[in-house]
Amino acid sequence: MAEVKVKKETNLSEPAEIENRIKELCQQFPQGITDQVIQNDLPHLEPQQRAMALNKLLSLGQLDLLRNSSGLLYRLKDTQSASKMKGSDNQEKLVYQIIEDAGNKGIWSRDIRFKSNLPLTEINKILKNLESKKLIKAVKSVAASKKKVYMLYNLQPDRTVTGGAWYSDQDFESEFVEVLNQQCFKFLQSKAEAARDGKQSPMVQRNSSFATSHEVWKYICELGISKVDLSMDDIETILNTLIYDGKVEMTVIAAKEGTVGSVDGQMKLYRGVNAILQPTGLVKTPCGLCPVFHDCHEGGEISPSSCIYMSEWLDF
Amino acid sequence: MTAQEIRLCGLLLQEHFGEMVEKVGTHLLRSGAQNLRTIVQETNLSVDLVKKCLCVLVQHGACCFTSGRKGPGSPTEYQACCDRILRVLRYPRYIYTAKTLYGDTGELIIEELLQRGHMTMSSTVKTVADRLTQNMEEGHSMDYSEVSSSFSKLVETHFLQRCPPVGGAGTSGSTAPAAAPAATVSVAPPTPESFPECYSVPHVSLIGRGKRQLVPENGEDQRNAKRAKMDTETHGDEGIYWQVNFERFHQHFRDQAIISAVANKLDQTSSEIVRTILRMSEVTTSATAACTKPLSANEIFRSLPASYNIPRHILDQYLTLLVDDPMEFVGKTGESGGGMFVVNLHRALANLARNTVESIVQERFGSRSARIFRLLLRKRHLEQKQVEDFAMIPAKEAKDMLYTLLSHNLVQLQEIPKTPDFAPSRTFYLYTVNQLPTARMLLQNCYKTVANLIERRLFETKENKRLLEKSQRIEAILASLQASGAEPEQLSEVEEMISAPEKQQLDVLKLHVNKLDSAENQVDETVFILESYVSSTSTS
Repeated sequence: MAEVKVKKETNLSEPAEIENRIKELCQQFPQGITDQVIQNDLPHLEPQQRAMALNKLLSLGQLDLLRNSSGLLYRLKDTQSASKMKGSDNQEKLVYQIIEDAGNKGIWSRDIRFKSNLPLTEINKILKNLESKKLIKAVKSVAASKKKVYMLYNLQPDRTVTGGAWYSDQDFESEFVEVLNQQCFKFLQSKAEAARDGKQSPMVQRNSSFATSHEVWKYICELGISKVDLSMDDIETILNTLIYDGKVEMTVIAAKEGTVGSVDGQMKLYRGVNAILQPTGLVKTPCGLCPVFHDCHEGGEISPSSCIYMSEWLDF
Repeated sequence: MTAQEIRLCGLLLQEHFGEMVEKVGTHLLRSGAQNLRTIVQETNLSVDLVKKCLCVLVQHGACCFTSGRKGPGSPTEYQACCDRILRVLRYPRYIYTAKTLYGDTGELIIEELLQRGHMTMSSTVKTVADRLTQNMEEGHSMDYSEVSSSFSKLVETHFLQRCPPVGGAGTSGSTAPAAAPAATVSVAPPTPESFPECYSVPHVSLIGRGKRQLVPENGEDQRNAKRAKMDTETHGDEGIYWQVNFERFHQHFRDQAIISAVANKLDQTSSEIVRTILRMSEVTTSATAACTKPLSANEIFRSLPASYNIPRHILDQYLTLLVDDPMEFVGKTGESGGGMFVVNLHRALANLARNTVESIVQERFGSRSARIFRLLLRKRHLEQKQVEDFAMIPAKEAKDMLYTLLSHNLVQLQEIPKTPDFAPSRTFYLYTVNQLPTARMLLQNCYKTVANLIERRLFETKENKRLLEKSQRIEAILASLQASGAEPEQLSEVEEMISAPEKQQLDVLKLHVNKLDSAENQVDETVFILESYVSSTSTS
């Protein structure tokens, strides 16, 4: 009997083979493969079989399904993360995925409910479960103090949630801001005074009284009054409050790219200024500061003739 | 004419002209233009009395008259002018300015004219010379020509102006232009400046010196002071009446405010430069102009005061700095002649008014509220959350402060709906500050404050009337005793009639009255800035 070489043809219609082939393709293209790529590689494959294989891989948790502008993408899931989810059921996986998608801004429990369409009790149970497994954590948002957002355990919460450098434990640090405020102002004021005492030509005087935001930042860092690292943006917000106090003015000049402290080819310069008016006449009288100004009439209970504020002020 | 303005006008009229004038004046202010018969009926005063009061008001320019509504034949209607009455508050400031600019002579000229309303040049000169002579030493007297030259100087710089001749009423000046419309009476009274002869000094033959007044008895003195000196001499300027040009004084005050603001913000030299520019454009700029006439840098350089000999290029640098300053007081309009520069008057007024409003908020509500206020002024519309973030104030406190400002109407709320039904959860609420309405509101508050201060002063003097009368009597007795040469014991006896606690009370009273007076002047400064700002926006 002649041996019939039965070449075991790689039966491409076998599901396991298809899955392996798809997985190999994914490894080739780590950023993900589209349907088109699979079709090019396995042209004889029917779409039904392809879909079955993909679904199998997805349910096994070995493929990630993503959508981009041109269609669906399949990506090989990280084996590590795949192992994490072992033992959790589908619902938990779904919730976990939603939370992961929210990135470092976190997501509120009600939003999770909307996205996953699961009832509230289920969600709560799942969230407790995930928390105990140390996969997610709850972070209190500074905007609404009762609101808790969930994010992945190892992520740093975003600035908008914690409030950035000005908040410590959800409390606005007003004294810290005040201290910084005064320090910046003193720095700018002393610079302006030094420029004025220099007695040079007025143009030079004015230019030397300016300080860039970078200089102020360096000064504050060197002072070391802040436990937290402050960025130049933080210092700029402090300087803006000084502008709103009317003590400082700002101009923007064009600066060469690459000079220290320039952002997008511009630099902000700050300068201490004096007030242009003395406190006005109205506030030197008791009526200007009176809390019951609108109730005061001649002949009423509160009237100029019987005003106690005026009596005190006159006897001063 | 708001209620506060009318109240303040009433108080001022009462203090300066008496109760009857006050009655007629406030009635006219409240009811608008009315003819004589109606006024008499509604105020229940006699016709004579009403006529006299109207005369007083017209003499001071507080009331004007026009032909009636029904045409040239109907009785004339009288209308009171609220602004003019409020100027009475500012008289001390005018007199003080005249004193600083033109010395004692100028001060007395302005004082006389303010007291009498309209006067001819000759009578003014004579009265002022007499007053000055009285205060000089024995044997000296004031020459008329000196006073006349002061008068002419005041006219040259436009501080005094001729009263406009009344159209069709007969007493037109002898040098009135022939084209003066005789038959048609314009509805609005002609402004003094519409007459070309407004600032020309007439040829007046005034030769002589001031007469020292003999010391008469007390009663006679009072009677003489009230009666105008009846002079039978004529000096060639009959019918040409002069009045104080308030607009010019206001320009001067405004310039002072701008110069001091520049001095505070920049330095002394910059303020001198701005002062030079303003001085050069004093008489060429109209009162309502938005900017002064452009001046070239060469001209400015030539006109700088001699004490400031700064080199030309330094001047250019100063001018560039002034133009670059965010306050925008000085602007550059061209390059000819080394650069043409103007002072932006309206913008300067807006800046000064804004600073005034900010300082009021700061003193009343604290510096953090002032921070929020300034923030809203700069950024126009902000949500609550943005206000907290920009101002770096904790959320609770910021909310509190915003609501306080809102309740005092200094800050307004603008709603922007997302849905047509304005549901609160789907609407944006933005905070905003409007500078002009806020300035108007604070101006009314200022009027109320001044009225309160005046009332308090009247109350204090009324309370201690008995004491004041007693002290006046004693002073009169002392003066007469001294004049008739009494012994020191008699004088001390009379002085002891006032006991020590009473003296102390008198001192306290004097202190109070002075304080209230000076407070009135201070509030008037605020009133001036806010008023100028509001009127500058209404004309632009």
